[in-house]
Amino acid sequence: MAEFLKSRFGVVFILFFIVALTIVGRLFYLQIIKGQHYREISDRNYMRIFVTNPPRGRIYDRNGVLLAYDVPTFQLVCLPYIVKKNYKIEDFKKHMKDLLNIELTDKQVEIIQKNLYPQLVIQKSLSTQQMKTFWNYSYLFNGVYIDVVPKRVYTPEANYLPHVIGYVGYPSEKELQKNPDLNMNMLVGKAGVEKIFDSILRGKPGKRAVLVDAMGRQKKILWEEEPEKGNDVYLTIDIRLQKIAYESFVQSGNPSGAVVIVDPNSYEILTLLSYPTYDLQKFYEGMTKEEWQNLTSNIYKPLLNKVFSGLYPPGSIYKPLVSIAALEEGVLTPQTRILSRGEFNIGKYVYRNWDKRGCGYIDVSQALEMSCDTFYYQIGLKLGVDNIVKYTRGFGIGEKLNPDIESKTAIVPDRQWKRKVIKTGWFHGDTVNLSIGQGYIAITPFEATKIILPIINGGYVLKPNLLKAYFDNKTQKLIHSQREVIRRYNFKSYNVEAVKYGMYRVVYGPNGTAKVMATVPIKNAGKTGTAQVYSYMTRQKKHHRWELRDHGWFIDFAPYDQPKIAMAVFVEHGESGGKVAAPIAASILRKAYYEKILEE
Amino acid sequence: MVKEILSFREYDRFVLFITVFLLLWSVVNIYSASFHEFSSLYIKQIVFVSISLLIILFLPKLVDYRKILELSLLLYITGIILLIAVKIFGTTVLGAKRWINLGFFQLQPSEVMKVITIITTAHILSKLELPLSLKDFFKVMFLTAIPFILIKTQPDLGSAVLILLPVLFMVFFAGFKSKYILIFNTLFLMSMPIVWHFLEDYQKNRIIAFLNPDAYSKEFAYQIIQSVIAVGSGQLTGKGFLEGSQSKYYFLPEQHTDFIFATIGEEWGFVVSAGLVLIYFFLSIKILYTGYRLTDIGGKFVCYGIGSLIGSQAFINIAMNIGLFPVVGVPLPFLSYGGTALMVFSVMMAMYQNIYIIDKKTKFKLSHSEVEKY
Repeated sequence: MAEFLKSRFGVVFILFFIVALTIVGRLFYLQIIKGQHYREISDRNYMRIFVTNPPRGRIYDRNGVLLAYDVPTFQLVCLPYIVKKNYKIEDFKKHMKDLLNIELTDKQVEIIQKNLYPQLVIQKSLSTQQMKTFWNYSYLFNGVYIDVVPKRVYTPEANYLPHVIGYVGYPSEKELQKNPDLNMNMLVGKAGVEKIFDSILRGKPGKRAVLVDAMGRQKKILWEEEPEKGNDVYLTIDIRLQKIAYESFVQSGNPSGAVVIVDPNSYEILTLLSYPTYDLQKFYEGMTKEEWQNLTSNIYKPLLNKVFSGLYPPGSIYKPLVSIAALEEGVLTPQTRILSRGEFNIGKYVYRNWDKRGCGYIDVSQALEMSCDTFYYQIGLKLGVDNIVKYTRGFGIGEKLNPDIESKTAIVPDRQWKRKVIKTGWFHGDTVNLSIGQGYIAITPFEATKIILPIINGGYVLKPNLLKAYFDNKTQKLIHSQREVIRRYNFKSYNVEAVKYGMYRVVYGPNGTAKVMATVPIKNAGKTGTAQVYSYMTRQKKHHRWELRDHGWFIDFAPYDQPKIAMAVFVEHGESGGKVAAPIAASILRKAYYEKILEE
Repeated sequence: MVKEILSFREYDRFVLFITVFLLLWSVVNIYSASFHEFSSLYIKQIVFVSISLLIILFLPKLVDYRKILELSLLLYITGIILLIAVKIFGTTVLGAKRWINLGFFQLQPSEVMKVITIITTAHILSKLELPLSLKDFFKVMFLTAIPFILIKTQPDLGSAVLILLPVLFMVFFAGFKSKYILIFNTLFLMSMPIVWHFLEDYQKNRIIAFLNPDAYSKEFAYQIIQSVIAVGSGQLTGKGFLEGSQSKYYFLPEQHTDFIFATIGEEWGFVVSAGLVLIYFFLSIKILYTGYRLTDIGGKFVCYGIGSLIGSQAFINIAMNIGLFPVVGVPLPFLSYGGTALMVFSVMMAMYQNIYIIDKKTKFKLSHSEVEKY
């Protein structure tokens, strides 16, 4: 044995033996000791999770009229690292141009050459011809594939309420970080109903674990989680009423304004018009630079949802609220008559009535009928700013009764607010101004409905609602939204009646400020408002300029005895509530009646 | 007559069994490594294996290795001409010119040169006085240096090394003095920086990648990392035939040629892959042992050459598959896809069997003690 080991054959034998042993040792280490570790790596190596995005839920109005839905579109996508590996960029460009008629942009070429992204969308919404050609010549396009992506389509009806519908888009970095359920290729709501009810509409992306090769080609599906379609949503909007509101506003010839119609008993929003509107589909799919500039530089601000985001002084439409506050606080009774002259003096300051002839000895109903400012100066002072503010806030003005849909709320000035913002104390003059809805107060057109709601619905302050119901795909049931009471007033019925009667006289009284409403075949009641934007003196000088004119307001409810709708019409710089805003409301009510949407 | 042809009693049946087994098994593994590409490589492999089996089973009875040794000069010149031809007419694959396209067959002259170098060296050693003197050593090394350089500049470092290695083993067996071996080893180690200088960039990168795989994860170490993952993920009993995901989904490049061992490791696991290492160990040792026992000096050195070539090539290939050796283009004997290599190894095995048979027939043996010194 010793001799054998000394021989050269022995030396080689030992050398080979050591090498073989080392290799077996290494195999033992890799396969037995670290085997589990490498098995996991190899599993990860070839498994990819692909996400399939479901179609978004549809949006309907309360009667099932379709407003928004999804259609599949096909886009051409490439994997830059594979394209780069397989083709010269010139050849690839040429194939794209010659066969598919797609001109690659310099940016796209750069992305492919530098392999900047794992995926690159070459063209969205392919034509049928392009898809056919692609399938036939797919061997020329290694690393290119067709991807199905949902596209949102808005029906022509949706164009009556673009601000309500909002729009969809791809999630931002921030949104992606915040919500792990989202992914880059998913459409999410960016504004309006699309955003508010996004979690209902969105659905759940499906996941597919796929075996892939090193080139990213799919070989075999390991497991699959079906995507869950988004739930269909039924808005409280009545598209017929919305259309009527839109058409009435257009016919009035006013360039800018808003109309809100709600059900006072449930606070369901039936109509929500911000005018001017814009083309929803175009806006979502992308506009030309010129079109976009036209939209953004338009002085009537079509992109702004004035209903929730515009703040304007309410003017006289505020008076019903002050009236009920004064009645309830015992400042006066329905029978109390107050001498209301053409002007009212506090020290050296003179506060005028809009009609300098004055109103005479009048009760609260007459004061509403004539919109008598000097009457309200007096009861406002007796009531005091704190009480006015208490009722204002109590009615939900300056409060997001539904934070999901209300983006801005009123500025309700009180002592504290004035000290903080204006940095002076509260004067009687401020109370006088506030009592006729002037001065610092500013509300959104939507909040105009809050002024009359508790008066006509039995004292309820409700949560406004845009969602009537949604169809839950999981349970296959229609889930209805419930009426939510936020608080309730126990107004004395004779006080309520006095205010309602006052608003009735606005329409039907001999001195009513909205007599045009009497032409409507439904018994209704309302209140006009003409809100001063600039002082009388300034206006005199530049009367012709649109943006210096007064705002026109009109709030209304109908039918008078059992209100089914409450309405607020706002005409930006419309000059007069009675002459401009009220005719629009009249037109809406009339049409609604003839189309049998609203009956006595 | 037919009975005589089909009788393999005189063969080294241990070696014959292993070779035939490896050849048949190669079809199975190449099928597994390439079926997912809808490739017909395994059918070509079946053809090659069939020819190989014919060569191994019947050639040993038809020729006499001693006559072939006499032809070694002619063979050597032919080999060199082929190597020069490949430089001129060769097909370029991945930047290297290694093949001559014969239409039906891609000839790889470097593989052919492996057997020719062994034959030539064995022939010369049989003519020289042993133990080998320093002068004779240089003669032998000069003859090897020509093909070595030609192949190294193809560039194909792996094949070049495997031209050189068997010769070094043969020189060692020829009793070349230990002190010279020590000196040359030292010189070789000291010249490493100069050798490094002569390496191609990709070869340098592969060596760097081998030494530090994580740093080169994307490019050069990709093969090593993927191959190690493949082998390791095989665990004790493997993922099963055709179930290897590493080799199936293109993570492993060259999985049917240089990296066939990774496929085997992944699909068959530790038991089979370690067994395979032992098979190569016993195969090469058995051939070397035959050489050790042999009286005819020419045959003896042919066996030394073949045994050390199979052993070192198999071990280098496997070591390369499991991250123990830099990636040099070395196929696994009998198992890797490649027509020329398969033919050449078959010819070597036929020659070995021929030597074994003739030795048995002459029945003239020297006692162990007399041969031992070589």
